[in-house]
Parts: sequence; C-alpha cells; structure tokens
Amino acid sequence: MPRYLSTLLKLAGLALALVIALLFAVFVGDQGPWYFAWVIGTVMIILISASGAALFDAQEQRNNLLNKENQS
Amino acid sequence: MDLINPHVVDLSRFQFAMTALYHFMFVPLTLGLTFLLAAIETVYVVTGREIYRKMAKFWGHLFAINFALGVATGLTMEFEFGTNWSMYSHFFGDLFGTPLALEGLMAFFMESTFVGLLVFGWDRLSRASHLAVTYLVAAGSNLSALWILIANAGMNVPEGTHFDPDTMRMQFDSFVHLVFSEDAQAKFVHTSVAGYVAASMLIMGISAFYLLRRQHREMALRSFRIATLFGLISSVAVITLGDVLGRMDYQKQPTKIAAIEGLWHTSKPPFAPWAAFALPDDAKQENHLEIGIPFVLTPLITHSFNQPITGMRELEEQADPHIRSGIIALTALKHYGETHSKQDLADFRAHEDDMGYGFLAMRHSPGQDVSTIPASELDRIVKQTQPDILPNVFVTFWSFRIMVVLGGYFFIFFAFTTLLSLRNKLESNRWILKLAVWSIPLPVMATEFGWITAEAGRQPWTVFNRLPTFLSSSSHTVSYMTFSLAGFILLYSVLIVAEFYLMFRFARRGPETHEPQEQNSQDSVVSNLNIVQGGH
Repeated sequence: MPRYLSTLLKLAGLALALVIALLFAVFVGDQGPWYFAWVIGTVMIILISASGAALFDAQEQRNNLLNKENQS
Repeated sequence: MDLINPHVVDLSRFQFAMTALYHFMFVPLTLGLTFLLAAIETVYVVTGREIYRKMAKFWGHLFAINFALGVATGLTMEFEFGTNWSMYSHFFGDLFGTPLALEGLMAFFMESTFVGLLVFGWDRLSRASHLAVTYLVAAGSNLSALWILIANAGMNVPEGTHFDPDTMRMQFDSFVHLVFSEDAQAKFVHTSVAGYVAASMLIMGISAFYLLRRQHREMALRSFRIATLFGLISSVAVITLGDVLGRMDYQKQPTKIAAIEGLWHTSKPPFAPWAAFALPDDAKQENHLEIGIPFVLTPLITHSFNQPITGMRELEEQADPHIRSGIIALTALKHYGETHSKQDLADFRAHEDDMGYGFLAMRHSPGQDVSTIPASELDRIVKQTQPDILPNVFVTFWSFRIMVVLGGYFFIFFAFTTLLSLRNKLESNRWILKLAVWSIPLPVMATEFGWITAEAGRQPWTVFNRLPTFLSSSSHTVSYMTFSLAGFILLYSVLIVAEFYLMFRFARRGPETHEPQEQNSQDSVVSNLNIVQGGH
C-alpha cells in the first residue's frame, strides 16, 4: 500500500473516531449527564493518577542526582 | 387468595441479602481494579519502564482471583430471582429481565473473553493491544454493573413501564426511559466510583504492607502514589453522587429519605437539625438520645433553606387516601378479571396509581381479599395498613450513617496520604502505613452499608409503590428455604476461605517471588502446545 494511502486511512480513522466521540458527547451529555460525567471523570482520574507515577519517577531521578552530587 | 408464608418471605429476604452482600464484597474491587490496572499499564506503555509492567502483572493477578469469585457468586443471584422471587419475576420480569439479559450477553461475555487475554496475553500481544484489552475489561466490568444498577433503579423508581390488567404484570414501554432514568445514572456512577475507592484502598494497603516490611519498595511506592491519587478524586466523586442520590430520594422516595434521617415529624426549615446520633424506636415512632446539628438538614437534603422535609408520621397520614384508592383499584381489578367489562377497567384505571397500597392492605383484610372489606371495617383496616408504608428506620438510619462516616474518613485519609506521597514522606510515617493496611476492608464495608441503606430504605416494596415484598417471593416451604439457605452458607463459607487464602498468600509472596513460577507455568503451557502441534 502506498504511504500516502496509509496516512490517508489513518486520518480517516481518526476523523471517524472524532465524529463518534462528538456524537457520543452530544447524545449522552444531553440524555445522561451523569453517564457523561462518569466517562470524562474516569478518563481524568486515570490520567491524573498516571501522571502521579510519572511525577514520582521524576522526583526519584532528581533525588538520585542530588545524592550523587552530595557524595561527590 | 392465600398470602405467602411470612417465614418464607423472611427467609427469602435473608438468603438474598446474604448472597448479595457476599457477592458485593468482590464487585467494587473488580470495578475499580480494572481501571487502576489501566492507569498503571498506560504508564508502562507511555514510558516503557519495566517496573510498571511488573506492577500491572502483579495487580492483574490479584484482580483475576477476585474476578473469579465475583463471577461464581453473581451467577447464583440471577437464578434466585426465578427460584425464590417468582411472584416478583412474573410481575416485574418484563422490565427487570431486559437489563439482566443485556448484562449477561453484552458485558459478561465481553468481560470474560478479555479477562483471559488480560491475564495470559502479556507475551502474546503487543503493548498497545494489551493496553486496549485492559481498557476493554474495565469497560466490560463497569458495563456489567451498569445494567444491574439500571435494573435496580427500575425497582426504586419504576419508569418506562405500566401495569397491564390482562397479563397482571408491569409491561415495558421505554428502553430509553429505563436506561437514562436519573436514578439509574446516579446509582451507577456512585457505585462505580465507590469501587474505585475500594480498589485504591486495597492497592494502598498491600503497598503499605510491603513498605512496612521493607520489601518491593520500588513497586510499592509507585503503586501507592497511583492509588492514592486515584482514591482521592474518586472519594470526592462518591460524596458528590451520594448527595445527588439523597436529593433524588427526597423527590421520589420520601419514606426512604425520612427513614435515613430518622425524621418522624415534618422538618421546620431552616433550623431543622441533622441527627448525627439517635436511637430510632420503630415501635414508638420516636428517637431516643438524639444529638442534632442545627441548620444542616434542610440544605443537605433539599439544597435550599426553606423547603420542609415530610416526616414519617405525616407520610403515614398522607397514605390514608392512597390506601382507600388502592382498595378500590384492586376490587375493580378483581371484577375486571371476572367480567372484562369496560366499566371495571375504567374504575381500575382511575385508581391504578395506588394499586400498590391496595396490595399492602391485603394483609389486614378478611381472607386477604380487599374486595370483601365491609364498610364498617374500612377505617380500621386503613389505619392498620398506614404504618406498613415505612421501612425499618433503625437499620436504614444507622447503615446510612456508617456509610457516610466511612466516606468522610476515606476523603481525609486519601488527602493526607496524597500529601505524604507527593512529598516522599510515606516511609517516615509508619503509622499511616499501618492505618492503610487496616483500612483495606473499610471501603467494601461502606459499599455494603450503602447497599443496605438503599434496599432496606425501599421497604416495604420490591417495586416502589407498586409491589410489596411480602407478595413477591415464591411459595416455597420453610424447610425448603432453610435447606437451601444452609447450603448457601456452607458453599459461600468455603468460597470466602478460598478467596482470603489466595489473596493473602499471593499478596504476601509479592511480585518477585511470583514471577519465576508464572514464567515456568507459561513455559510449560507453551511447551505443551508445541508437543500438541508437533503431534499433528
């Protein structure tokens, strides 16, 4: 498959996902606001807790560097 | 018509409560652990760090143990509706059966299929594919809960349904009404995020256990960080949705909210105190040793400062015309069953909304037939029926308070542990680690008490204002119920021992000691497959 075609297909797939997400947001946001809040809220909880882990790694890296500097 | 033996009704209720409470020990953990696994695995896929893969695999195995027992105990409950609650199933099955079937077909199959890939697919799927599987398991388990809670919301606030006098059952009118009812929405989100809290506490507790023993430090600190943030935001969501549910009860289930608040007389806003402590006396219809906080009750329940909340004594008085109307409805329904005349049908339709109150009056009517009540006896029977509209106040009042106190504790605890984790001061505060270990069972207890509040508060109805519980069970014998109850207790005791043994054993061993064995078992499976393939 030519490269431009695969890029086009990827873009089409992402556009389709975007349309589905928008339709979902409009319908569920209107009919079931708490369901919508649950979807958005769960994604938010996952992202925040995952970023907490990334922050932990960064803190640990900084502490290791500080320890090395202190030792040297 | 003979009523069902009250002992059989009580035994059926006890059996269902036992099996539901037992099943509900596993459900919240499944709901929350799947999304926590998704969070951990997302970090692994994004950063590529091996420690997160190890963490996801370890917590994934704990999830698998919990999932297996959750499924085993959930199956029996679905059959109980048919075996022990056949009258209910006939009356409300059209509506109740739809979400239950959807749960089985859609969520259960989806969830179970992907659980296999989640546990055994680590070396067979790409990182992204495995992550997608984890998210699908999480979505599947929560969809499973969604359908059950939609069915439960239908029992509490029956919407999208009407009674058909020809089939003598509630007919299903609107799927959209059922799925998008306010009660279903709030119940689902409240229960789902309560599961997030339970899973967060489990991961924090086990991680704290490792930190106390100075084992698996790298994994424990990271797991603790992810879980405490997850739990903190979830605990805020649980409290928010709890408030939504309380307001909904105020609007749609006034007897439940009055029982929850131990409110025997209509409140006087804005002073009305919120009873922080009381010993409600159901027989005397009053509270002993009540300690109230003034100006809290009205805004808490009504979200205003001037709306009164109807007390249980007044609700009893208000039930008087409904009981009389319900007696007319049932009398017309009986005549319609015999004559099929338009006039009887019109009479029934005029009083249809109060039919449930007519069912309540059956217990006090001569020959359990409301159509035979003589005019001279009507007032007495109505008076006798009035207190029957109230749930058990003591149970509802205290189960709610235990849940609320625990919910408040979780928020404070998560806020504090988040602070300590972000400042990297967890290990120097060993008391908080010990508290985390001891707090593991508390969120599960809170969800159990939440369920008791919702279900005990719905009494005396299985379908609110439509079908009383004493008319809902099957007409078994007492000995049959006792025998099956003993069987359940025996079987479930074995299951709970197995659950705790496996969970404790696995948690104590930790990730490192487990890895080689798992590798061996996977190698042996692969070698077995090679032998089979070679044989062909």
